[in-house]
Amino acid sequence: MALRADIAERLFSDVMAPLVLGGTMRAGHPIGVAAAAAIGDHSPLDTDLAALVQEGRVRRARMLVPIDALNEPSAAEWMLAAALHDLEQSANPGFHAPLRRRAAARIARSALATVDRVGPPSTLSEAVSRHTWFARVLEITRTDTAISWWAGSREFLGVDPPARVQAWPKLRRVSVTRTPRPLLEVRPLAIDRERLFTAVTALLARTPITDLATCTRAAPPFAWSAPTLALLATPAGRTLATRALARLPSGDVDAALGRACREVITHRRGLPAEVLALLADRAIAEAQGYVAADPAPSPSTEADIARCLGAAAALDALAKSGAAWPDAQRRALHAALEPSARRAFSLLSTVSTWV
Amino acid sequence: MIERVALHQTRLQTPGLGLDAKGVALGAKGLVVLPSIDRLVMLLAIYTRERSLEAILPTLTMHVLKTKTGAHEIALELAAESSDRMDRVAEAARLVGGHAFTGTSRHFVQYRDALAPFGYDARDLAATDAAIVLYSDGATRTYDLGKPIDLRSLLLRLGLRAVAPRPPEAGVRFIVAEQGLGPALLRYLVRSRVDGEACVAEWPPESALRDTPVVRWIVRVPELPERMRALFTSTPGMTCFVPSGPGVEVEEGFEHPLELRACPVFPPEGVVFFRGRGETAWIVERLPRMGALSTFARIELRAGGTDGEVARRTGVPEALRVPLRLTPSSTPWRKVTGSWVPPEQFPLLRRLAYALPRATIAQTRVATTERGVFLLSEAGIEAIPLGAFYVEVYPRLYLPAGFEVTPSVAPEVLARSLAVPASGVVFVGVDARACAIEDQAFTALEAALIDAPPWEPMVARTIERALTEAPIDLRVSAVGLLPTRGIGDPDDAEP
Repeated sequence: MALRADIAERLFSDVMAPLVLGGTMRAGHPIGVAAAAAIGDHSPLDTDLAALVQEGRVRRARMLVPIDALNEPSAAEWMLAAALHDLEQSANPGFHAPLRRRAAARIARSALATVDRVGPPSTLSEAVSRHTWFARVLEITRTDTAISWWAGSREFLGVDPPARVQAWPKLRRVSVTRTPRPLLEVRPLAIDRERLFTAVTALLARTPITDLATCTRAAPPFAWSAPTLALLATPAGRTLATRALARLPSGDVDAALGRACREVITHRRGLPAEVLALLADRAIAEAQGYVAADPAPSPSTEADIARCLGAAAALDALAKSGAAWPDAQRRALHAALEPSARRAFSLLSTVSTWV
Repeated sequence: MIERVALHQTRLQTPGLGLDAKGVALGAKGLVVLPSIDRLVMLLAIYTRERSLEAILPTLTMHVLKTKTGAHEIALELAAESSDRMDRVAEAARLVGGHAFTGTSRHFVQYRDALAPFGYDARDLAATDAAIVLYSDGATRTYDLGKPIDLRSLLLRLGLRAVAPRPPEAGVRFIVAEQGLGPALLRYLVRSRVDGEACVAEWPPESALRDTPVVRWIVRVPELPERMRALFTSTPGMTCFVPSGPGVEVEEGFEHPLELRACPVFPPEGVVFFRGRGETAWIVERLPRMGALSTFARIELRAGGTDGEVARRTGVPEALRVPLRLTPSSTPWRKVTGSWVPPEQFPLLRRLAYALPRATIAQTRVATTERGVFLLSEAGIEAIPLGAFYVEVYPRLYLPAGFEVTPSVAPEVLARSLAVPASGVVFVGVDARACAIEDQAFTALEAALIDAPPWEPMVARTIERALTEAPIDLRVSAVGLLPTRGIGDPDDAEP
């Protein structure tokens, strides 16, 4: 029990708290699946730090939903944090050496296994809670410092360079360059980078609101996952998703969603109803001015797919629930959505040529 | 013979006949032919009943028309100008049995009627030297011009009609009295305190056997007392006239056949007195200067005595001053706009300030002196029920309410004797002691009331800094000799 508490406290102070509040994040000895599962519903002992973290989580949650209190980390959130910790450790440049790469791969597999032990959120409250922990997971950066002087140079990856290397900067003509690198772009990497992407993708799939709220990321590309579709299955979940997406540039969101839809269409030839409902909600919100329309919409076909499919789905929803709207508002929405909806069929025929 | 003008017809045969904006055939002139002079009077009476002749008077001419057979008819000619004017003239003409025509020089065609809403045009023009050729639906008639008829002469020659007795109307009256009655009339009016003006006018002798002009008094009375009306209308040698237009007076009890106000043919600087009973009108081309009736009053001279007594010596009068006193008065209070609160009532005033309404505080000014607090409020000081009330008896001069000054002098005299300054106010106490307070000493009560607590400066925190999220910086630690110790085999982990 003492070992489990030590691991939990180290995980909380070195990973979970910085993940919410920012600051220095340290990855230590790998935790593993069993130890992560053994943490259970542990409560952090550093109450001051825990209070600050709770405040940061509430601030993050109130960007989406007006709540004032959140539960302490659940067992699933401890496990996901442990998986993230192990994933960071697998990217440790210390493994980039002979006879050590297998250890990094083993740690990465362990992290992925830990993620796989965690199921998708079963309630919206749980989804929001996970999002408050992992909303900034893609903002983790490692600062690499390159120091050059008159007689040579040296690179320090994720550690502070010693003072002696920077001594007499003018005399030795010392040049210090600090480069923050996102976790997915760190180098050298002892493991296969695709494995790192897979692990992060699996982690994001366990926190669907975070997955949607970072859909405009460059890597790993956003794709419709089962937990995300489960979140969108309810109107309240779609509302949370719409609010999360509204904080991102509208054009980039349309492009990311359209790209994900294209992937679904080309492989399955049928979009889930939850996706269409989300796109319809976004189209209606944009037509009513609740979502800021992109002033310079990107000309990409993917963005057009999302916008046009959303308009078509919104018109269909209007036709089915027409009585719920005032006549004037319904006519205005119809006029705003119809041009995009007409383009939906031609775009879909274009998509069919990709298959 | 004539034919009806069709809609949108553009060509007309009659010279000088054109189409106006409504498409009605209209010449430069309008002509009304009447069978006799009495029909002309009827036409003018009907026309002047509703509108003045002033608009058509410059172009209005009247002639006697003579036919080749020697018959006479009357023609009234005027500038047509518009079909609206001609419509009104034609309506009046039809009413009195006349016919309206329109044309420009000699050829006149019948003006439009119900059968031809756009008028008529002559089918064949008559070759004749006659002065006027009239084309109507019945025949073409030619006329020569006879003697003209002057409207002014016509008005003067028309006899007045007696009207039924009716209640007298107030207003100006002119009384024309024969020369012998004039002085007695003036004395009577002066004695009766009747205002008015009078002058004397002369007319040529009525008979060639007389060599002196006929002199009559003309009296203008703005408001003639009702009791005198019967006197002036029944006394021989006196005639009472009622104004019927600028420079036109009609004898009381009669009326002119035409509305004289609509016939501006008489100059306003003169006066024409229309008399009833078929008598000739009296015309005064230019009314002489009139004198007030009071100047015609009887003048008496003292029989004896000297012209006047001259003072032998002048000097400075002996000073006669008495001290000012204030005595209680039962006269109602008016303009109670000031009050004096003695120093011992200051605590009460402070407590009362919490209960005063907002409007009262805003309207009240206050000056604090060593004798107490003086309050002024233009809206009334009764809203602050404290101290002694003061009444503003004169601008910037205040007396205690319920008191008056003795000797009883006018407020302005009191202000002058107290030398009330222009930049201050003077309060006179019950003991008759006065004190002056400069305007600058008065400040708004709301500014003087609040004893604001001292404040301490506060520095606002920047909320942006508190909400800024620090970047997440991943630090690398040493992996150790056994980096995978204790994590187990991930492939054996239970799903």
